Amino acid sequence: MARFLTFRTPILKVALMALLLAALSACGSPQSTFDPKSDVADSILTIYILVTVVASIVGFAVLVAMVWLLIKFRAKPGVAARQIHGNNKLEVAWTIAPILVLLVIGIPTMFWIEGSAREPAPDVLEVEAIGHQWWFEYHYPGLGPDGTDLITANELIVPVGRDVRVTLQSDDVIHSFWIPQLVGKTDMIPGRTNVLHTFNVYEVGTYYGQCAEFCGEAHALMRFRVHAKTTSDFNSWVAAHNAGPATPEPGTAAARGALAFASCSGCHAVSGTAAQGRIGPDLSLFGERTTLAAGVLENSDQNLRAWISDVRSFKPIPEGARFMPTFNAMLDETQIADISAYLRSLTAE
Amino acid sequence: MAANTSILRRPLAPTGIWAWMTTVDHKRIGILYGVTAFFFFMLGGMEALIMRAQLASAESTLVSAATFNALFTMHGTTMVFMVVMPSGAAFFNFLVPLMIGARDVAFPRLNAFSYWLFLFGAILMNFSFFMNAFPDMGWFGYAPLTSNEFSISNSTDYWVLGLLVMGIGTTAAGFNFVVTILNMRAPGMTLMRMPVFVWMTLIVAFLIIFAFPPLTIALTFLLFDRFFDTNFFVDIGAGSDPLLWQHLFWIFGHPEVYILILPAMGIVSDVLPTFTRKPLFGYTMVVFAGVVIGFLGFGVWVHHMFVTGLGPWANAAFAATTMAIAVPTGVKIFNWLATLYGGSIIFKTPMLFALGFLSMFMLGGLSGVMHAVTAVDSQQSDTYFIVAHFHYVLFGGAIFGLTSGIYYWFPKISGKMLSEPIGKLHFWLMFIGFNLTFMPMHILGVIGMPRRIYTYAEDMGFEPLNQIVSGGSLIIALAIVVFTFNIARSVRQGEPAGDNPWGAPTLEWSIPSPPHHYNFPVIPTVRSQYPLWDENANVVLPPALPAHNEPIMPDPSYWPIMLAFAITMVAGGLIIWQGHAIAGLTVISSMGLLGMRSIFGWVLEPMEDEAHVSAHH
Repeated sequence: MARFLTFRTPILKVALMALLLAALSACGSPQSTFDPKSDVADSILTIYILVTVVASIVGFAVLVAMVWLLIKFRAKPGVAARQIHGNNKLEVAWTIAPILVLLVIGIPTMFWIEGSAREPAPDVLEVEAIGHQWWFEYHYPGLGPDGTDLITANELIVPVGRDVRVTLQSDDVIHSFWIPQLVGKTDMIPGRTNVLHTFNVYEVGTYYGQCAEFCGEAHALMRFRVHAKTTSDFNSWVAAHNAGPATPEPGTAAARGALAFASCSGCHAVSGTAAQGRIGPDLSLFGERTTLAAGVLENSDQNLRAWISDVRSFKPIPEGARFMPTFNAMLDETQIADISAYLRSLTAE
Repeated sequence: MAANTSILRRPLAPTGIWAWMTTVDHKRIGILYGVTAFFFFMLGGMEALIMRAQLASAESTLVSAATFNALFTMHGTTMVFMVVMPSGAAFFNFLVPLMIGARDVAFPRLNAFSYWLFLFGAILMNFSFFMNAFPDMGWFGYAPLTSNEFSISNSTDYWVLGLLVMGIGTTAAGFNFVVTILNMRAPGMTLMRMPVFVWMTLIVAFLIIFAFPPLTIALTFLLFDRFFDTNFFVDIGAGSDPLLWQHLFWIFGHPEVYILILPAMGIVSDVLPTFTRKPLFGYTMVVFAGVVIGFLGFGVWVHHMFVTGLGPWANAAFAATTMAIAVPTGVKIFNWLATLYGGSIIFKTPMLFALGFLSMFMLGGLSGVMHAVTAVDSQQSDTYFIVAHFHYVLFGGAIFGLTSGIYYWFPKISGKMLSEPIGKLHFWLMFIGFNLTFMPMHILGVIGMPRRIYTYAEDMGFEPLNQIVSGGSLIIALAIVVFTFNIARSVRQGEPAGDNPWGAPTLEWSIPSPPHHYNFPVIPTVRSQYPLWDENANVVLPPALPAHNEPIMPDPSYWPIMLAFAITMVAGGLIIWQGHAIAGLTVISSMGLLGMRSIFGWVLEPMEDEAHVSAHH
């Protein structure tokens, strides 16, 4: 795990964290960069704290000096200003001083860049993430049935304790892939393949991510989640994904929904079924997801029905943009409810 | 004489609307720049206030996503190109000739032309609002969001053409000031006796000359992509590259930051000596630090692109150059601080704003150094931490510095003093409001709030800090109301200023307030950096000259405003052409002809009107 230079001096780290987090903890956020849960986020925070402390010391010292000078040399009757034009020695000194201070932060910066360029561990999990206006698509090369890609969308599943290397592409405009607690952002640029810093998650949990580069009208609603699972949970998720859903019991809403879903399959795919559309997000194991609409809505029956009926009441989709149509004119309420029941029945059990 | 080329009679009246529209007097052009910039400052400020109202609560529905995106795009574009840059130009215009002992700039009509292009370009861009096509792709217009596929309305066209029109004027102004400063200095005004503000103007003028061409190229490429289906940024498979836009934009964009901040640094370097009653500490170092910043400013643009995946080598190199630029900046800050040492500090409003600049700009500089650490930048980039950083530089730095300049030179410009108590109220409201608005944004960035989002979910924990920020923005608005009142009050009933109300040392304070239209009755001979403080070099100027003996100044001209209008309408015609080919071509060709006519009129027009010349002799 020691790919990065980290300052393993607990006293320094704990003291500084306590100081800096005092203000921040009051407004705890699932996207806090000061609450790292991976090796790379941790190494960034270490250097973040170092530069914050250095910058704060310099800033504080200059402000104190300024206030002192202002009080000491305020105009007083009978005291004339001293006509000083400069002082070469002093000026050389305060040209060199910033250079020394910059070395303190510059050297760790270069070490960090060097560390981040190193190869990941051999058992690295490779993921390809593709940005779309306004959702994310993920491919796990070789993890699908018969060595194909396992494809899913919006909620990224990763194992803890194992290097994860995400390559980034875009289908339309520039997006930026960012999971503050796990890894700093890297842009998804059409025509290029970028690589996110390899990260290794510490703890099982759900982490928030968000597109960080303005990508058009619904940019604010392009969010995602990362679920970090134990290796065995991760493996069962892969297996369940590839096995496909059990056939729903005939006569149930889910069974009717499975039939009605045929009208969705031009765009959406569910692994292990006939639905193999690749225009919209893959919906395999949809019942396992905690959110829908790219991390915007909680995954509930009510939300899902409302979303299918009229996506535009949740996301500002400009006219002419390639996005899911509004279905309340094409499907009746029962059909929408059936489709919702079907999608929510797609679980690993 | 064959020189009578005008269709219209040359306006020679010294007052009235025509006098202002045809003026070539650098002082009047300076005032025009200042008033226009203030108007756009109010406009950009209102755009910001609407955004702050929207973000004051989670899941707010006050404005739509489309409106919010247009607001932040135009807030940024307005504040950079229509407020801070022209405010700098207002000071260059009014002050540089006065400070170097000249009667005008080198090319007075070109100067008027620059102003009118700025005004018309700004109007063209904002006209998009009435056509329901307010630009909405962000002020740095990243490809391919600006392509025909993703930007369907004319919004991007208005943005591109508005910037191109303004850019012509800005580039012309850059050349004008280089020539003015290098060639028009009074006898004895050596380069190293120039006020620091003149030095910073010179550096800014060079930065404009070298930084605007990349922007012009990028905008022209984009224009061709949009209008003529070329392929610079659009079709990736066919070999174009969206990152090319980012390189071109930021090769312009980073020097642009120094174009925005150096005038404020110059102002503060001249305000501090006056109110400490002692020379600037290390004048030579302050000047050369400015020159070094100007050069290094061209070598740091990739720090805007650390997360675009250029690789470890590019990131390491540009991290190093970005850290390097902190050294000359630090030198300046230390020299300003040392100027306070041993002084007899007088806390007048201009001084308060200069000290506000010093402290707030320093904080912005320090958070800037944090971005140079690429690891940290990968978390901070495109978050509110960045928004906080550049507002500390451009508001806490540029706007505070420029406001210091307004309080300092308003007496010279208008002949009247601004109220000190109201000025102090303005300062404290602005200082407190500014910090309440922008300090919490650092923390919002740390806890993961991306910039440019029109809404955020309640469970993100962003709401409490956003409420403080929005509250702070109202205090800034109040400060601007107080400022406006102060100006309005003084214009009507301000105390007379006299020649040199602050006991300042530089040449512009040796002449009456407001100055004669010819500035100096006789061109002074300069023997010192601080001529009005140096007893041996004291400049004693004769009082106003009798009318028959006044120096002959260039007469007003219609042609600069006509040519600027024609150029802007050709740009407008291109937009019309998108919808109505015939109408567009008609506008383009008729305005092209007017432009040609204006160029001939301009070239063949004598500097002084015949009638005017004969009146003198």
